[in-house]
Amino acid sequence: MVDETTGDKEDKTGITRRRFTLGVIIASIAGALGSLLSLLKVLAPEKKGGGYVSTIKPGDRFIYAKGANTGDYIKVSSLNIGDAVLAFPEGKTSNHANIVQLIKLDESAYKAPTHIKYTDQGLVAYSAICTHLGCTVSWVENEKSPDTSYTECFCHNSIFDPTRGAKVLGGPAPIPLAQIGVKVRDDGTLVFTSDFTGPIGPQV
Amino acid sequence: MIFKWFDERLELGKFKDKFLSKTFPAHPTFLLGEIALFSFITLVITGIFLGFIYEPSSKLVSLFGAMVPAAYASVVRIDLLPMGMIIRRIHHWSAMIMIAAILVHLMRVYFTSSYRKPREINWLVGLSLWSIAMGAAFTGYLLPYSNFSVTATSIAYYMSKSVPWIGGWISSLLFAGDFPSSGIVPRFFFMHVMLIPTALIGLISLHMLILVKQKHTEPLSNKNRKEAEGGRRLIGIPIWPEQTVISMSFYFFLLFVVVLIATYIPLNPIEIYGPPSPGTPVMRPDWYFLVVYGFLKLIPGDLSFTVLGGKITPETIGGVIFPSFTILVFALIPFLDRSREPQNYIENPLHRPFMTSFGIGGGIFLCMLVIAGYIDVLHITPEKMTVYTIIASLAAWSISYTLLRFYNRKRMGGGHVK
Repeated sequence: MVDETTGDKEDKTGITRRRFTLGVIIASIAGALGSLLSLLKVLAPEKKGGGYVSTIKPGDRFIYAKGANTGDYIKVSSLNIGDAVLAFPEGKTSNHANIVQLIKLDESAYKAPTHIKYTDQGLVAYSAICTHLGCTVSWVENEKSPDTSYTECFCHNSIFDPTRGAKVLGGPAPIPLAQIGVKVRDDGTLVFTSDFTGPIGPQV
Repeated sequence: MIFKWFDERLELGKFKDKFLSKTFPAHPTFLLGEIALFSFITLVITGIFLGFIYEPSSKLVSLFGAMVPAAYASVVRIDLLPMGMIIRRIHHWSAMIMIAAILVHLMRVYFTSSYRKPREINWLVGLSLWSIAMGAAFTGYLLPYSNFSVTATSIAYYMSKSVPWIGGWISSLLFAGDFPSSGIVPRFFFMHVMLIPTALIGLISLHMLILVKQKHTEPLSNKNRKEAEGGRRLIGIPIWPEQTVISMSFYFFLLFVVVLIATYIPLNPIEIYGPPSPGTPVMRPDWYFLVVYGFLKLIPGDLSFTVLGGKITPETIGGVIFPSFTILVFALIPFLDRSREPQNYIENPLHRPFMTSFGIGGGIFLCMLVIAGYIDVLHITPEKMTVYTIIASLAAWSISYTLLRFYNRKRMGGGHVK
């Protein structure tokens, strides 16, 4: 039989030369692309653990995360009411998930849902990683009335209320910053006393 | 003499007749695309200089006694070279100007309906050029590996991660694993200096070839003039020699302006941002990302839901869906506003009430989103800003539409306007 449009001849198997050629081309392209698919796996490495995983253990001591005293123990005496600093647990500064914001306000300022048992002498600690897109949060101090100071992420202006369990007051952050226990030792340095009370880092 | 030597071997004469005698439109708005092209040339030249000294690695090295990433140290080294900081600023400024020029060029094409048949393909090529140019800018952000770079890229990382279903895989592919991994600087460097420029050069060539093949659109006034003269040729000036002289002097003038800006206006001062640190600086992206940045600020944080097992978060909406949707709308324009016959004359925007007012409304919407990027400085709440944005865009659209309708009715002497 002869195909009228192409003039191709069919042999006994009923396959035209054109169809055979087309099949060979498609099969070779599919094979080549298929064999390359494995490269995608190589280019996108396995997750190491997925997002932020804190390695803070109760008993770790607070040290300054930035500024002139970076690496020194934070002492309760060096913080005034209305102050806040960024802190790391001692020896675990390479994991950014461990960064916390340590805030000192008047003891009576804290209300639920703040975990009062995790505060000590007006000190409270929250994860310093914004739950929106992972920037480090900053402290906006109101010197006239320290209790109305708040935590703000300067990336997209999410605002958190430190006296109410870092509740989201405004901006795009979906959930509050997680709290973590803080306690003053006899020598005035500070230790962590718990795990984070909730998820930390961007909620994506 | 020299021309003859080459002509005998390469038949340059044919080439000259075919390409160099192409007519170029004698109208200043046709220089917008040239600004983009020339900025790209400047980017390539300054990029070659920067590439000789830049070190694509985030390994810690010693710089003036402090341990900083090698990439950061090498950019500080560039800044310390004679003229080094100027070259880096020219590079950054040219990128900003290139993207602005593409946008204004795109607006010119939009408002004059030059995207219509037969130019739909070139509209799409141009749109791709714009998106890829922004990809080039984005990958360039990270390279100095300053505190600013890392924060900006980390935000983009979480945005790409928020893509439903495949976000984890996409972010891992683009950012070489969990952010920040040691593989990210080499990967972004390769994309920034090799992959993206190659794509840009390819698409620019395609854009120009199609332009040469199809010729440019002409002002309507040319039509009457041509009919009067009975000719079919385009009215304009030939590429060689007139337009070449104009373009060259225009390029050097543009270079002069860019050097002037780069000399006096600081940009991306990495020495002030410092190397990556636990704190986050107060920062805003370059102007072309402000739209997305502002949009992210306006979306309420609790607006997340699940569709078919894929989680849609505010970041998905602001960082992924909204930009893709915008690009899609742009891409569809020539297929929604069609003309059956090939259209080779530009239309007066005042005679197209719907499209022109739609463009004005859309433009105002994007401008309002840029302003939304500054609500913290302006002390406006996101809720109020959302309302302002919607009102301003709708008002701009409807008012301009009404005015244009009115204008056209008068122009046509009360006749019906489509």
